[in-house]
Amino acid sequence: MLVLRRSLFSEFLAVVAYPLTLYLAFGVGLKGYIADVEGLPYPVFIAPGLITMTAVNAAFDESAWSMWFHRRVQRTIEEYRVTPITVYDIVVGKILCGFSHGIIKGVVVTGVIFLFTPFRFTLLHLLIYLVFITLGSMIFSCLGTIVGTTINKPENIGRIQAVVIVPLIFMSGIFFPLSSYPAALVPVVKLLPTTAAFDGARQALLHGAFPPGYAANLVITATVVFVLAVAIFNRKMSE
Amino acid sequence: MVNGTNSAAAIAMHGITKLYGELRAVDDFSLDVASGTIFGLLGPNGAGKTTLIRILTTLLRPTSGAAFVEGRNVLTEGKEVRRLIGVVPQENNLDRYLTARENLILHARMHGMAPVDYNPRIDELFELIGLAGRQHDFPDTFSGGMQRRLVVARALVHNPRVLFLDEPTTGLDPQSRRAVWEYIASLKAKMTIFLTTHFMDEADVLCDRILIMDHGRALVDGTAAELKERFAHAHIYEVEFRRNADRYEAMLRNLPYVESAERSGNLFRLTLAGEEALKTLMDELGSADIRKICLREPSLEDVFIALTGRTVRD
Ligand SMILES: Nc1ncnc2c1ncn2[C@@H]1O[C@H](COP(=O)(O)OP(=O)(O)O)[C@@H](O)[C@H]1O
Ligand SMILES: [Mg+2]
Repeated sequence: MLVLRRSLFSEFLAVVAYPLTLYLAFGVGLKGYIADVEGLPYPVFIAPGLITMTAVNAAFDESAWSMWFHRRVQRTIEEYRVTPITVYDIVVGKILCGFSHGIIKGVVVTGVIFLFTPFRFTLLHLLIYLVFITLGSMIFSCLGTIVGTTINKPENIGRIQAVVIVPLIFMSGIFFPLSSYPAALVPVVKLLPTTAAFDGARQALLHGAFPPGYAANLVITATVVFVLAVAIFNRKMSE
Repeated sequence: MVNGTNSAAAIAMHGITKLYGELRAVDDFSLDVASGTIFGLLGPNGAGKTTLIRILTTLLRPTSGAAFVEGRNVLTEGKEVRRLIGVVPQENNLDRYLTARENLILHARMHGMAPVDYNPRIDELFELIGLAGRQHDFPDTFSGGMQRRLVVARALVHNPRVLFLDEPTTGLDPQSRRAVWEYIASLKAKMTIFLTTHFMDEADVLCDRILIMDHGRALVDGTAAELKERFAHAHIYEVEFRRNADRYEAMLRNLPYVESAERSGNLFRLTLAGEEALKTLMDELGSADIRKICLREPSLEDVFIALTGRTVRD
């Protein structure tokens, strides 16, 4: 946390730049070429997804890299482990840290989009939306923790991101509606936790809806990956 | 003193074995260290020193055997053990995104200390290690010796009963080494100290008791004086050649009664199998190229070489 505060400004720029660029490129740049999607102007359609993406990516990155860095580079995990705190304290702390990075960055980007774009939403929608972004950040923080715990070579963390995380995010209908999929695929795609997070978040922010199926999916996934992350870390530490 | 049930033992190990796959890093190792001792574990690289420290500090589970610190089982009472110990690992593991002081504060908080307790303690430690003026700098900006002192200070924040130091001075320049030594010596009587080292002089200067190990096993154990005394009968000679040292080296290495031969330039330090071997050796070498030959008082280094068959520094 302390470290986060110290690098706040550069972090802020880095965090905001990417989704804003995407917003400008896809949302504004392509606006003339893309018709309304599901009755919404394209920039409005993608904005919630961009926020969610920022949040979950931040959660994943922070967890994966911080776990890897503290375990392999600084070996500070070992310093933690010779104090009375337990392995569980360490892994839960790391998960929460990734999670809060996700939430903070999500909130920052929301603020920026609100300030600089005509995109508008009500407070109620925002609160429902928070449920989704919270669960999504939790899941990605746990996934990041698992990756940072099990992977020793940094380039492999990047590969996992490119091969698993990014496709999962793009498949979840962040830039196009799920109805673009062949009908047979839709139920499968809807089962993805990332779909639950992104599509659910969009419905929440734009329409104030609370899709219970998506929410249940996220809660179950979050619980499973949390238990997995703790168990895997615990096992790694007793090697 | 060397007694498994002695309650004064700060550290006790019974039949500790650690396997890495096929490799026996530690092999049926037993040891008791009395409270208040500065104990030195001496061994060449790969002897199993770090493995032993990792087991005693709850970082690693032994394959078999039991270990106790201040009477607490490292396997079942890990948290209790960790409350009582301070650990200086072989590699410095400071957090480079925290200042020197923040590193110590984080440690204090992980030990559940309150600011009223840890702030004065940390002030005192910074004075002691001579880094008071640098406490708000990041460890990256410190020299190796300063970082090492900071790691030692960090291990002392919570006033441990047993301090583990894994090669505390490896990689330091002579002045820094001396500073760390003085610092460790000043802790004597306040706690039990368990250190591993590569350096004979370090063990000789600092330790009340020295154990030499190799291949995961203990070889000898005693005070520096005792160890030297046990090897007073060793037949250690120094032979210096005028020329052709390479040829003589090959020859020396093949003589069955030369137990070890350590070369530095034209000077060889030989451990012979017995007194009578000297005459045989002289006959073999001839006198043409020999500049000098003399009997040596065994140093701790000789004891070490005689036991492990190798020098300590790689
Ligand atoms: N994690 C590990 N996996 C496999 N072998 C290891 C591991 N750690 C240490 N070893 C081996 O165990 C032996 C003892 O190592 P170590 O305890 O680090 O020795 P020392 O500290 O005395 O140099 C060495 O042969 C080393 O290569
Ligand atoms: Mg070692």
